[in-house]
Amino acid sequence: MAKLIIFLFLTLIPILCNSFTPDKPSDRRILVLLDDFAIKSSHSLYFKSLQSRGFDLDFKLADDPKIALQRYGQYLYDALVLFSPTIERFGGSIDAAAILAFVDSGHDLIVAAGSNASDLIREIATECGVDFDEDYGAVVVDHAGYAVSATEGDHTLIASDDFIKSDVILGSKKIEAPVLFQGIAHSLNPSNSLVLKVLSASPTAFSANPKSKLTSPPSLLGSSISLVSVIQARNNARILISGSLSMFSNRFFNSGVQKAGSPTKHDKSGNEQFLTEVSKWVFHERGHLKAVNVQHHKVGETNEPSIYRINDDLEYSVEIYEWSGTTWEPYVADDVQVQFYMMSPYVLKTLSNDNKGRYFTSFKVPDVYGVFQFKVEYDRLGYTSLSLAKQIPVRPFKHNEYERFIPAAYPYYGAAFSMMAGFFVFSAVHLYNK
Amino acid sequence: MVKSTAKDAQDLIRTLWSAYSATPTNLKIIDHYVVFAVFTALIQVVYMALVGTFPFNSFLSGVLSCVGTAVLAVCLRIQVNKENKEFKDIAPERAFADFVLCNVVLHLVIMNFLG
Repeated sequence: MAKLIIFLFLTLIPILCNSFTPDKPSDRRILVLLDDFAIKSSHSLYFKSLQSRGFDLDFKLADDPKIALQRYGQYLYDALVLFSPTIERFGGSIDAAAILAFVDSGHDLIVAAGSNASDLIREIATECGVDFDEDYGAVVVDHAGYAVSATEGDHTLIASDDFIKSDVILGSKKIEAPVLFQGIAHSLNPSNSLVLKVLSASPTAFSANPKSKLTSPPSLLGSSISLVSVIQARNNARILISGSLSMFSNRFFNSGVQKAGSPTKHDKSGNEQFLTEVSKWVFHERGHLKAVNVQHHKVGETNEPSIYRINDDLEYSVEIYEWSGTTWEPYVADDVQVQFYMMSPYVLKTLSNDNKGRYFTSFKVPDVYGVFQFKVEYDRLGYTSLSLAKQIPVRPFKHNEYERFIPAAYPYYGAAFSMMAGFFVFSAVHLYNK
Repeated sequence: MVKSTAKDAQDLIRTLWSAYSATPTNLKIIDHYVVFAVFTALIQVVYMALVGTFPFNSFLSGVLSCVGTAVLAVCLRIQVNKENKEFKDIAPERAFADFVLCNVVLHLVIMNFLG
């Protein structure tokens, strides 16, 4: 009986493990850290949209002493959502270094700050490449792009529709209504190629404390203010940083919006659509590519040789798929290129595809011998970066692979044979001459 | 002065030509053979200057066959010439046999190097 139980248990273990694997890159288990559990109900629409897509959300207070990201070297969660802007010190074994190690190991992160953001949250954001305004009392103010409301506000609730142009990150459906935002500004380092501004402030926005008088021009102005940014790290971990926690709330999701200066009044703000689509991207439900099945062979053969000869004709093919959230779909694009590379690309060809995810091309090996690599470097906005390299040597002609008679040398052949003929004729004449 | 040097040159060439006409016929045949070999060598050098040195081994082989032939023919002429007192003891048949042997070796080498 005991043996049966053990047997059943061992066979069921593989079925019970269904977390993040390279075969299914979507995250499954998400740890959500909150300042207090009121956020769980006031932001319930957002959480429900995540749960309806199959995520297991684990709600904990940010200073709960029992929280941990990993145990015995294994990570317990696949992604982390920080909706705790005021936390000064996390409970349990989590701290800024642990969170950054979590991201470095390939897991995703969502951080929402607010006007009361603590040093810890700001430090985590800075490590990720996003710099919040150093002035602690400053919020984003926009006197020309604010959201029109019944009460006379101080224009800190703004409506923004300056989205990044990317169907991968924001989905193919256009977001009609502007997005409501009330929080702090951050800026990105322009030399950082990994961060992207998903929602920028309008050119009339600035970051300042609305309660005090401005003594000097604010340091963050205009469109360089980013309201929501994403970062895709080199290990393809994705991070979303937002300057406002309230933009995730039910109140903002359900409220109508009218941008100052625009006559259209939308019944529902664009917050729900915007944040749902961006979350899909952050949790790898969109824009996650994998390249498999690299093949190369001589034209006319099917097996892969271990060495090529110069001036051979060869064919190269690779299959690229995109994760759709549930399955791997073929990825269709016309800008994937392969390089035949040795210190510099000798051949650079754009791969043609058959619309089913197979990319192929054929070219002639250059007239240089050495050790080459087939390199595919694919780096597009919003997609995971593909970096494939396959090494293959190329040899020169063998001694018997040259042409037997070189046409350029025919005069020399002719001269040698004519000398031989001349010798025969001369000796005949010389011998029989009187 | 110019006229006299021109006349001297003409006289020189005329004496050369009349002296040369006195040589025996078989030596003249050897001379023609040498001229043929050198001429072929010159054609090859001009061709190489036009087209380039690829393939260099074939060029060397062709030129060497011409030059070697010319050299061996000159050696034969020296040994066969009755007026040459140094080689009086060598029979012309022996000289011819040497000539044939050397030519065989030469052409063997040329065929090998021709590529």
